[in-house]
Formats: sequence, structure tokens, C-alpha cells
Amino acid sequence: MKSRLSPFVLSMLIFGFAFLYLPIFSMIVYSFNASRMVTVWDSVHSPTLAWYLELFGNDEILEAAQLSFRIAAVSATGAVILATLAAFALVRYRRFRWRGLFGVLTTAPMVLPEVITGLSLLLLFVALEQWTGWPPGRGAATITIAHVTFCMAYAIVVIQARLATVDRSLEEAAMDLGARPWKVFMVITLPLILPAIASAWMLSFILSWDDIVITSFVSGPGSTTLPQLVFSKVRLGVSPDINALATILVGLVSVCVAVAGAVMMRTERRRLRDAQIATGAH
Amino acid sequence: MLGCGFADRGFPVNHRAFSGRWPRLRAELGRRSVIGLPFGWLLLFFAVPFLIVLKISVSNAVLAMPPVAPVLIWGHDRILQIHVQFSNYAFVLADRLYVAAFINSLRVAAVTTLLTLLIGYPMAYGISRTPGVWRNVLFMFVALPFFTSFLLRVYAWIGLLGRSGPVNGLLLHLGLIHEPIQLLQTDFAVYLGMVYSYLPFMVLPLYASIEKLDLTLLEAAADLGCRPTRAFFAITLPLTREGIFAGCLLVFIPAVGEYVIPALMGGPDTLMIGRVVWDEFFANRDWPVASALAIVLLVILSGFVFLLQKVQAQAEEAG
Amino acid sequence: MTVNPVQSNGGASGPYVRIDGVTKRFGDFEAVSHVSLDIAQGEIFCLLGGSGCGKTTLLRILAGFETPSAGSIFIDGVDVTAVPPYERPVNMMFQSYALFPHMTVAQNVAFGLRQDGVSKAAAAERVNEMLAMVQLEGYEGRKPHQLSGGQRQRVALARALVKRPKLLLLDEPLGALDKKLRERTQFELVKLQERLGVTFVIVTHDQEEAMTLASRIGVMRSGEILQVGSPTDIYEFPNSRYVADFIGSVNLFDGQLVVDEPDHCRIACAGLGVDIFVDHGVSAAPGAKVSVALRPEKIRLARERPEQRENVVMGSVSGIAYLGDSTRFLVLLEGGTQLQVTRPNFDRHDEHLEDNEVVWACWDAGSPIVVSR
Repeated sequence: MKSRLSPFVLSMLIFGFAFLYLPIFSMIVYSFNASRMVTVWDSVHSPTLAWYLELFGNDEILEAAQLSFRIAAVSATGAVILATLAAFALVRYRRFRWRGLFGVLTTAPMVLPEVITGLSLLLLFVALEQWTGWPPGRGAATITIAHVTFCMAYAIVVIQARLATVDRSLEEAAMDLGARPWKVFMVITLPLILPAIASAWMLSFILSWDDIVITSFVSGPGSTTLPQLVFSKVRLGVSPDINALATILVGLVSVCVAVAGAVMMRTERRRLRDAQIATGAH
Repeated sequence: MLGCGFADRGFPVNHRAFSGRWPRLRAELGRRSVIGLPFGWLLLFFAVPFLIVLKISVSNAVLAMPPVAPVLIWGHDRILQIHVQFSNYAFVLADRLYVAAFINSLRVAAVTTLLTLLIGYPMAYGISRTPGVWRNVLFMFVALPFFTSFLLRVYAWIGLLGRSGPVNGLLLHLGLIHEPIQLLQTDFAVYLGMVYSYLPFMVLPLYASIEKLDLTLLEAAADLGCRPTRAFFAITLPLTREGIFAGCLLVFIPAVGEYVIPALMGGPDTLMIGRVVWDEFFANRDWPVASALAIVLLVILSGFVFLLQKVQAQAEEAG
Repeated sequence: MTVNPVQSNGGASGPYVRIDGVTKRFGDFEAVSHVSLDIAQGEIFCLLGGSGCGKTTLLRILAGFETPSAGSIFIDGVDVTAVPPYERPVNMMFQSYALFPHMTVAQNVAFGLRQDGVSKAAAAERVNEMLAMVQLEGYEGRKPHQLSGGQRQRVALARALVKRPKLLLLDEPLGALDKKLRERTQFELVKLQERLGVTFVIVTHDQEEAMTLASRIGVMRSGEILQVGSPTDIYEFPNSRYVADFIGSVNLFDGQLVVDEPDHCRIACAGLGVDIFVDHGVSAAPGAKVSVALRPEKIRLARERPEQRENVVMGSVSGIAYLGDSTRFLVLLEGGTQLQVTRPNFDRHDEHLEDNEVVWACWDAGSPIVVSR
């Protein structure tokens, strides 16, 4: 049924998207504003790249960004590896002991308020240090462990959904043809769920890169991530170089999303073409 | 081409010799580690921490108070005090401030959930009814803010809502107000920030369930004389219930414990439980009370999830 | 129930595949119950049954994907019950074909050889041989989704045969093909099997497929094998009401044995009007409750009363379905029973029976099959 959108739905769409994008666009515009007062447009000296230059001269921000990037990359990788194993266990091993508890543990970090996750992890690290001497204080390592834990839940959902659509008989066929279980996983299962693993990695990276609450609980004095830095800056009052930072990040994400979209469209087109070849092949 | 039967020609391609039980054993070992690694991780870094929170929440508050080394004192406590103490819970539940924070958090989360549903449903519906490529483009535009930093988007609103910001400027220009009004550090700002931040979490599950809807059902309804508006309430809405439940869960639960938005956009009197836990922990260094607050919050949220699941199960049964 | 299999007429020496008292339980549910079965070398054995009868579970036990709860599997004299699938000299063609979507046709077919460490060159040569055999030369570089259903089926077959298995298992091998292609492929499959001499075990729910492919059929129901025999045996001499009803169309009458002599017997059937006269004895207790199965094509219809004395009933035509090669009639008997009759259309200008016309139906004394209820 091809029905046109009703005026109500159409206006809600326009309103909704305006609501979502208005602040983002305002940030982009104000990042070129010469005035130090973030919210006043200085029409004499604008547009200017001054804030971008200041941003790149700010070692504190660059260091924090670097730390955030490193933590996000390591956390995403760790989370995806553990999530792949967990998803495999949940989808392929239908019955095992403690499966119920396992299922709860894999989804709970997603719905739990971050203050609780952060608080509980910090108390664990403190207790661990007391009992075993490890981890020695809090820092990048504890942040990474915390991020792996909560990113894992999201990654499991993504990978599990994909794995459930992989026909089990493909793995059985490989085994039937002489491949041992580990080989089956590497040669058949892994290539087939690779797109989901890639999206899970990206999602985990973003979640880790963006996290502030959990990070604040488990970070130490020597390790300040980018969101922590932004948070403290914003608390002290708005500062225009944040606009420039936001614009750069929005630009990067947009490029990534656009590339992902283009790749998706291309595979879709190729799939259609292949289907045509197949129907013409009788 | 192959000649006649190769089965009786012997087997030029050798199958591996049967090696008995060893491969089964190895497969079992592999299976154990596939389950064990993630399970072990989650047990250690997710389940055990809760037990610790639970334990600390029943520890003595007075002994944990010294800000220098609360950990050590808690260690002595472990030896000295074996008996469980619920004074922290009594303290939390008796204090009107904490109770008010809980109630306020639930209210803010409920209003946020309702508003995101009211805005998000028409949006999700509109996107899923948009033809062809545009649908994917619009979908991506909903997901995009989710991928851009949450903190920075909140920051953008702070700029917009400031005393000399564009919103006040527009209102002044239109003559609706005569001097800048206080928009930031109000409940209004908290609601705005919450709805704004959680809207994608509502739209995405709604979109997924509306898109799955079989359109021939609406055609059948129209064929049987049902007008579009009635068809929406009679068919579309009940059949997308699953998405509505999922969206509400994804918005409500994290919204109850939200810290960043009330901290940055709310006033000093905006009491939300996430903020209270944070302050008890970082400012007052009262770990037992913070732990007790977290446990109470967890119990409330679990109760809510349980209730929602029950409602959902009943709805499934009914129709 | 244990069934003693009929010795195959293939003349092979001893059983090649022996299924010995195999039971498979999933929780409380018994998918396969005490099945014992011998399959000779070079046979095409069909496991036939409705969905959930346990035929696929039995096949998966042969492949090694399921471990039986009790019993053993022997292949060529070796106990393989505990051998994992990747070490069994058995290959399987899956119902969905299970072609690896990320590999080309050539890579799919070569997969099994590469697992055994066959060199690339040797594997390539053998892949070409197999693709020639299934008439898919020139398709080496295609991906599975670029193939039609029939081509995919042939790639799956080539992939399963490339390792020269002792036993090939086929799960609904033609189920995903359309009717025309299925008919053609059936004969190709049989010809290929004859040329290669590989033992086939086929699982199917399609009785027509089983009849055309199989040298022997095992009919399964709720985890048990009800009857094992050649297609003719199963069709003409079903041993139970279920088998008679499952294979082809049939008229089934419940009745009581009134006369049972060595050379004939009589069964009184309420609703039929006359006794059914059968030209052999059944050696059962007189008065035993039995069922009689009568195939629709073994009944003749005529406007005039036929001359024979026994097995003649009168009724009126209550439904006519013209099927092209034959016509199917429903005849309502005086007793209220509906009789199905199939009549081949020998001549374009056959006499046409009309709706509601009064007709006589008769059959030979050799046609009815007496089965226990």
C-alpha cells in the first residue's frame, strides 16, 4: 500500500528532526564565531578558525583525546572478542548449566543506571587491590575493564542477532566435510558474522569514547578522558573551543556513517544484481 | 568424467583414521572455554561487584566516614563486625531528601518516557512509511545523534538556552518577553535535555517494530471499511506494542538514574537520585549510604521491569 | 518395535550400514525409538514419513551430528557411534543445501578435500571432474546466490560426493525444486548413484520421491520404523492401516472378519452394503476387527451391473475431478460410504459419467488388502 504521509505525521517528522539537529547545527555555526561569549554572534570578526587553532594548541585536550581513543579501541576489541564467544554460547549451545544467569548477566549492563555500574566497579577495584594488590590504583586499565564490561552487553546483542540468522547447517556441512570445530568457526562462522562484528566494534568504540559517568567512578588522578575534560570545562562555564571540538567530532561521525551507508547501498545493489543473474541462469 | 563406481575402487582420498574419544574431549574443552571466558568476565566484573555493593551497604557508616582511608577502616570493620546492619537503609528511607529524590527521579523519567513516546511514535511511523532509499537515509539521521557525543549535545543546549543565547534572543525579538528569562538550571531544561537525549532510544525500537508490520493487514482493514485513523488504533498500535514496551524500557530505566543532564542543566534544587548517589560518593565520601541508595534504586527498577514484563505478558495473552 | 529388515535384492554380501537398536531422546521426548536397520552396499534407501517422525534425527545420527541415547551405528563393520562428524566416512547433502555463501562454487566443492590436506592443484582437478559430472562446467567462479535452485542442488551434490564417501546422506534432496525440475532430477540422481555405486540414504516426506528413487523404503512414524520393503511391497502390500493410508490414496473400510479359509476370506463392512471377498486367507481369529484397504485405481465403474457376483456395489456419482491423465470420481454408496475411484483416460472420447448418475463399482478379489486395525 503506497499511502502518502498524513500532514500530522509529516509535521511531526519535520519537528522531530529539527529538534534533533537544531543544537548540532547551532554548535557548528558558533564554532566559527569570533566572540568569546559563546552565545553572542560577533558579526564583525566571524567567521573565524580561531577556536580550531586554539583547540589544536591545547595539549590537555589532545592528550585526553588520545587517551580516550586508546581506551575506546582496546575496550571495543576486548568487548567484541568476549561478546562473540558469549553470543556463540547463547545461540549455538542451547542448553548448559547456569544459562539463565548467563543470559541475565549479558543483558543487565544495558539497562542498569550508569551510576550503579560505576559505583559497583569502583568498589570491586578497591576490594581487589586490597586483597590481591592488583590493580595498583585506578587509571587507564580500570577504565578499560569497566568499558569492556558494559560495551560487551551491546556487542552481544548485535552479534547474537546476526548469528541467529546464520543457518546452522552451514557449520554442520563444514564439519561433515572434515573441518574440526575450531576450523569451522574460523572459516565458516566468523566470515559470515564479520559485518555484525564490525558494527559491534564501532558501537562499542562510540560507547566507550562517549562514556562519562562510569569513567568518572573508575578513573584515577593521572588519567583524564576527553568526556571527563569536557564535563569539567562545561561545569565551569561554556567555552567556545568545545564548539570546535564538537564540530570536528560530528564531521568525523558523519563521514563514517556516510561511508557505511554507501557500502550498505552498494552491497544491496549487488545483491539485487546477483539475484537477477540467478533467475536468468536456469 | 568419472568412470564407473568409485566406492568399490577403494578410497584415493583418505578419511582421517578414527581417533576415538579424544576429539570429543577436545570439543568439550573448547565448548567450556567459549562459555567460560565471557561468563567468568561477567561474573567477576558485574556480578561480584554487586555483592560488594550489597556488603558495603550494610557496613557501619560511622567507621567509613573518615575521608582519608575509608578502605582500611572498612577492612577492620570486616573483622570486627560480622553482624549485618541495616541502619544505612533506615537512614536512606527515613530521610525526606532521599525519598523526594527517588520520587522526583521516577517522575522525571516517567514524563520523559511519555514525551519521547509521543514525539517518537509519529516519527518512527513516518520514517517507516517513507518510500525507498529515503527511509534508510532518515533512519540514519535518527541514529547519527546517537553516535555523536552525548555530552556535547547537552552542551549545545546549554549554549542555546543561556541568558544571552539564541532562544532568549528569539523570544525577545518576537516581543513575547521583555527581558531574558532563566531557562537553564530549571526543571524545564532538565526535561528538554532528557527528551532530547533519549529520543533516539525510543524511535529506533519503534521503527523496528512498525517496519515489520504487514501492510496487507491495513489493506484488509480498509477493504472491510475501516477508516485510516481507526485502522491505526485498531491494528497498527496493538501490533507494534512490542516496540513500545522496548522503547519505554530503554528510556525509562537509564532516565531514572541519569546524572549528567540534571548536573549540567538542572538547578541546585533539581534532586535526582543519580546525582544524589554521585554526591554521596564523591562529595560526602559516604560509601555505605551511596551503596544503600544504589541498592534501593536497583530494587525499584527491578520491580518496574518485573511489572512491565507482567503487563506485557498479560497483553500478549489478551490479544 | 523392532523390524526385521527384508534382505536386499541387490545381492550385496552382509549389511554395509547397520543401525543397531538406536534410540534418541531429547529430554522426555523420544525422537527415535529402538530402530534397527541394515542397509546393503550400493542401495538407495529411503526413510519416508511425515514431519516429526524421527527420520531426520536418524539421518543426523548417521552423519554424527547427534549421539544416540542408546544403540550403535556400524559402517562397513566399524563402530562409528562415538566418531565425530568430521572423522566419519560419510557425507551429507543438506535440505537447504548449506552452500557456503562467502565461497565460490569451486571453493565450496574443494572444501572437503582441503580439510584433508589435498594439495590445491589436485583438489582443483578433482573439482573440475565433479563439476563436469553434475554439468556445471564454467560455473566455478560463481557465488551460490548467483545460481538457480537446480544449480545449487547440483553444487551441493558435487560437494558431498567429492570426498568419495562410503555413504551419502540426502535430506529432502529435491524438496526445494519445482515440480518439473524435480521429476527430471530424480532420474539423474538415480543414474549418478548407479554409476558411482555409493550407498544413498535419503530422507523424504514425499512418497512419490521415495517411490521413484528408492530400492527400498522404510516408513517411519513417531520414531519407529513401521515397514521396510521395496516400493512395490509398500504400495501393494502395506502391513498396517497407517502405511496404506500414508502411501498413495486409498479407500479404508473398518470391518469384521466373518469367514477365514486358507483360500479366501470375507469381511463384513458396515456402510458398504456387501461383504468384501478376498482371494486369500489371513489366518486371524474369526470375528477379528480388521481394516480393508482398496486402492482407487483398482475399482472399476460401469453403468450396467457387472457380471461378477462378489465385490459389486451400487451408488451414485457425487463428485468428479478431471485430472487430465485420469479422472477421479467420488461414489456415494447406499450405505452412506464415499468411495474414491480413479479411472485412466485411455481415450479422448471415453464415455462420460455424469454427476448424480447411478453407477456400479466392482473390483477383483485380489485387490483388497486386509490389515490389522
